[in-house]
Amino acid sequence: MSQNGNVPQPADVPTPSVLSDNREERIAARRLRIVARNEAKQRQEQGEGSSKEVEKREDAKSQEQVDRSKLRIQRLQTDGTELVSNIQVAADARESFRRDELEEARRLRLGKLEAEAKSSLEKFEEISKRWTGARLREIPQELRDALNSQTQLCATLIEDKNKLINELQQELKVCDDRYVRDLKRQADEVDLMVERMEEQVKSLITTYREEIKEIQGSFDQEYNALMEGDLKKWEKLRKDRGDKEAESLSQRISRVEEFEALLQKLRVEDAEEYNMIKTKLETDVQVLQQQLQQMKATYQLNQEKLEYNFQVLKKRDEENTITKSQQKRKITRLQDVLNNLKIKLSNQEKQTREENQSQTEEYRRIMHQYKHMEKKKRRFAVMDAQKFEEVWRMNEEEVKALVGRALEIDRLIYQQQLGLDWSPPPLPFMQRSGPIRAQRQARSSALQTATSMLGRDVEEEEEEDDRKMDEEESPTTAATAEGKSGEAGVGTGSKAITTGSGTEKPRKVSQKTVKRLLELLCDEAGFLIENKLLKLLSPLEKTEQSLMKLDSIFSAMGIDNEEDIYQLAEFFVKFKQQQQQQQEEEEAGASGVSGPGDSVEGEDLIHPNDILMALKAFTAQHHRIRNSQAAQRAGESLVSCDVCEDVQYWESMARVISPTKLTVWTSLEKALEKYHTVLTDRSKLLVDTQKLRQQNSELKMLLHQYVNSRVNAELEIPPTQVIQIARNDVINNQSVTRTMKR
Amino acid sequence: MAETIGAILMDPPVMRRNLAADARKMRRIIAEDPEWSLAVVPLLTNLCLEHIVSNFEAKPMLDDLLPSHKAYVLEKLPPSLPLEVTANLISDEGYWKKCCMERWGLGDVTAYGNSWKRMFFERHLEIIIDLFIPDNTDPKTVLDMVPLCKNYVKKLSISQLLPPIKDPQKADDDDSSDTGSDSGFDGPSMDHFDFGILLDKLIYLEELHLVYGVKGCGMNFEWNLFEFTFRDCESLAKALKSCKTLRVLRIHQSKVDNEKCRLLVSYLLDHPSLQDLDLSHNLIGDRGARAVGKLLNRSRMRSLNVYDNQIRGAGAQALAYALAKNTSLLTLNLRLNRLGDEGGQAIAQALTKNQTLVSLHLGANQLTEPTAIALSQALVQNSTLRSINLSCNRLGVDGGKVLEEGMSHNGAVVDCDVRLTGIQQESEVCISQILRTNQSKTRKKQTQEPNIK
Repeated sequence: MSQNGNVPQPADVPTPSVLSDNREERIAARRLRIVARNEAKQRQEQGEGSSKEVEKREDAKSQEQVDRSKLRIQRLQTDGTELVSNIQVAADARESFRRDELEEARRLRLGKLEAEAKSSLEKFEEISKRWTGARLREIPQELRDALNSQTQLCATLIEDKNKLINELQQELKVCDDRYVRDLKRQADEVDLMVERMEEQVKSLITTYREEIKEIQGSFDQEYNALMEGDLKKWEKLRKDRGDKEAESLSQRISRVEEFEALLQKLRVEDAEEYNMIKTKLETDVQVLQQQLQQMKATYQLNQEKLEYNFQVLKKRDEENTITKSQQKRKITRLQDVLNNLKIKLSNQEKQTREENQSQTEEYRRIMHQYKHMEKKKRRFAVMDAQKFEEVWRMNEEEVKALVGRALEIDRLIYQQQLGLDWSPPPLPFMQRSGPIRAQRQARSSALQTATSMLGRDVEEEEEEDDRKMDEEESPTTAATAEGKSGEAGVGTGSKAITTGSGTEKPRKVSQKTVKRLLELLCDEAGFLIENKLLKLLSPLEKTEQSLMKLDSIFSAMGIDNEEDIYQLAEFFVKFKQQQQQQQEEEEAGASGVSGPGDSVEGEDLIHPNDILMALKAFTAQHHRIRNSQAAQRAGESLVSCDVCEDVQYWESMARVISPTKLTVWTSLEKALEKYHTVLTDRSKLLVDTQKLRQQNSELKMLLHQYVNSRVNAELEIPPTQVIQIARNDVINNQSVTRTMKR
Repeated sequence: MAETIGAILMDPPVMRRNLAADARKMRRIIAEDPEWSLAVVPLLTNLCLEHIVSNFEAKPMLDDLLPSHKAYVLEKLPPSLPLEVTANLISDEGYWKKCCMERWGLGDVTAYGNSWKRMFFERHLEIIIDLFIPDNTDPKTVLDMVPLCKNYVKKLSISQLLPPIKDPQKADDDDSSDTGSDSGFDGPSMDHFDFGILLDKLIYLEELHLVYGVKGCGMNFEWNLFEFTFRDCESLAKALKSCKTLRVLRIHQSKVDNEKCRLLVSYLLDHPSLQDLDLSHNLIGDRGARAVGKLLNRSRMRSLNVYDNQIRGAGAQALAYALAKNTSLLTLNLRLNRLGDEGGQAIAQALTKNQTLVSLHLGANQLTEPTAIALSQALVQNSTLRSINLSCNRLGVDGGKVLEEGMSHNGAVVDCDVRLTGIQQESEVCISQILRTNQSKTRKKQTQEPNIK
């Protein structure tokens, strides 16, 4: 079918044959052959009747047509462009040829020009040579000939040149002509090219149209062929279907009859069976109804039972709910209580914390107050002491003044009233001032002791001499001074006191040992001294250095007064003894008995290696003692210890005036009092006499007045006479008293 | 006349109103006027739009309008509006088509990337430069155009550049060409338009075609009308360097000799975008060819045309040396030079190493048999070359046979021009047969590739 459709080719495109003259045709024919072969192979492989393959083939057919058209058009195009470009190529070739020619011509021309130049140069040289020859000629004819020949030669030269110029001009003209010709030809060629282009365009258009037509035709053919094939197939299929339907219809009819017969038979059988089953079932129904009745009865019973049970359960449930609600309430209540308790607890905690805080605060405050009080107390103590001292001093001063006065008075009494010699009593207390206690404090510090100890080695001898001297002289001087002046006495007294305080306690250890001990300490206990201090000390003198060292050692060990130093010394000695005893015991067990007591106050007080142990033991002991002492001292009252001394002191003051003197004084007083009374009486009497005298003078005045008045004259007895008499009497009286007084 | 037409076009409603007095007023349908509507009183929008159109020059308003109104205004706008107003405002192709049609008649817009606007501006600028007379014309006439057209000009095809003082077109009218030529000779410079002021401003310029010569001088021919001075060359070269977008440069028929070629190349070295250089119909010799060879490997050139020059063997060797190392050049045209066998062999040897060149034109180069032998060897090895033109060379019978043999081992060449080479008919037929098979092969490949894709 499809092949039939493909066979009628368009008239203008003949089937390509392998034997064709045209090469393209041959190629196309071969290609077709190959394609056909390939198709055949495929067909063999896949088997016939595959519609897909047919389609593919048909597609390939149209495709082939398209390819063919394309090929043809391309061929046409290339041919056309070749045709058109032929002109250009020809022009190029011509141009190239022309250029070659031009080059060649130029080369020739150059050669010609060069040759010409050479020849003309030769000729010119010849001419110029001849000029020299001509100059030699003397005969005019010859000269003329020569000149003629010269002109001829020149003419030929010029002619040559002109010829060349003409030739060149000719060439130029030819070139111009050629250029014009070329232009013309180029114009022609351009025209031709345009013409050919137009032609090609035309032919291309026509071929395009043809090819389109052909391609369309091939596609149409393909389409028709396809349509035909499909229609035929369709028809065949329809027919087949009709046949099949008729057949199936007849089959169906026969089957229907068959089935109807079968149905009839089945219906009869079923009716019979139905009846039978119906009777059976009715009996069954009766039985079942009976059973149903029974079941209903049991059901009723069961229902009642269950109802009762249900009721009971309901009741229980209610109870349960009640109890549950109660429990719940209880739980909530307890929860509340718990919460309250928790709140309370937290409150309590807070309160206690606050309390604790406040109390700690209070405690701190009280501590602070206590400290404050302590400070106050200390301050008051100091203040009291000060005040006490001040009061003491004031009173002492007062008392001293009183004593002085009393002594003065005593002296006056003795010297003036009694006319006796007076010697002042011994007054040691007058030199002193201030309270006794203050002086007791002057206990020398450890350092001072140490200095004194160390300083001793230098002044030892002198000091001891001095002391001896003092001790020898002191009684004599004291005796003399006592007699002479109070001040000297006071000086000795003070000295005695100081010496007394300095050597209060008896020492068990000699000062020498102490000194050695200190030196040892200085050497061995260097670790107690700070490094910095050591550095600072290095430039100082040796004694000062050791002093400073001792100071720091004492401060480290807690030794701060002389006593401690002596204690230390004693301790060391004891320690040494103990050690020696131990040693001796050991030695006694070993060798024998050596002389004891040699080293009680021996040269080597203690071995330097043992010092550390000794120090350790001492500090432990010393601290214990010190602590206990501190506790004791705190308890002591400051006043009690001083009272008896004070009383003594004051009393010594009060006893300045001795009782014997007092008795003298009392008797003297009595006598003086008597004398005084006499004197007072006399003074009274003197006043009285004064008064009487005044009265007397007044009376005299009055009398005189009366006497001298005129009234008197008239009187019989003049008063003057009376007065005269009275006056005499008074005078008498006065003289009497006077005498009496004496 | 044109003005009146313009006026009528500019304001047709007015015209219609005026004409409404005539008999047409009575007609209800006017079939010949598509704008006609029965409404006697035009709509306010139409009136406004007409007003906008009539006052567009004073107050251009376009982008604010609705699209339909914009279309209406664009349709009504006359092409005679000054470019200062329209250049950067109107982008509608219809308007510019109108402008082009009015000015030049029908034109092929496909040559301008299907953009009428580009066509208008390119041709407008080309005309301005074509008619630019140095010293007489104010450079401002060109520079004024720059801000208007710089966004649209991609290609400049300058068909003539006038020398100073003398305007040949005017000379045609005024005659006195002799005096003009004399003065031109004596003048201080024969320099043409300086592209330095223009090229760096045209930011989208891609193609530049130049002819330093006068078009249509006719019988007023003078040699100095076709003078490409050294200073011209220098200014052009600098301008080209400043134009970074340039892809195609053509300088035809401009008497570019060795020195100018070297100068141009020295400025074009390492140009970022140059792809196509065409220096045809010039006077480039061997030294110029050497310079071009240097340029080949200092740029990304894809095409080099130096046909109709005077390149000889030495220049061809230099080009061949460059070609052997090059990896970008696709087309090389050396038609109508004087390479000779020396150059031809060198190029053929370069082809054995080059892997990119697709098309090679060696027509009319005085090549002979030795070159044919070398080329046949190159063809055996090379598999990228598709087109080779050897026309107008005297390869001779033996050369043809050798070439035939070389072609029989090659499967890539689809076009080989051996016309007028003096080879035998048989070898020519053979070669063409081989070409056919190669063509069909490539065609199959091409058809297969899209199928695969």
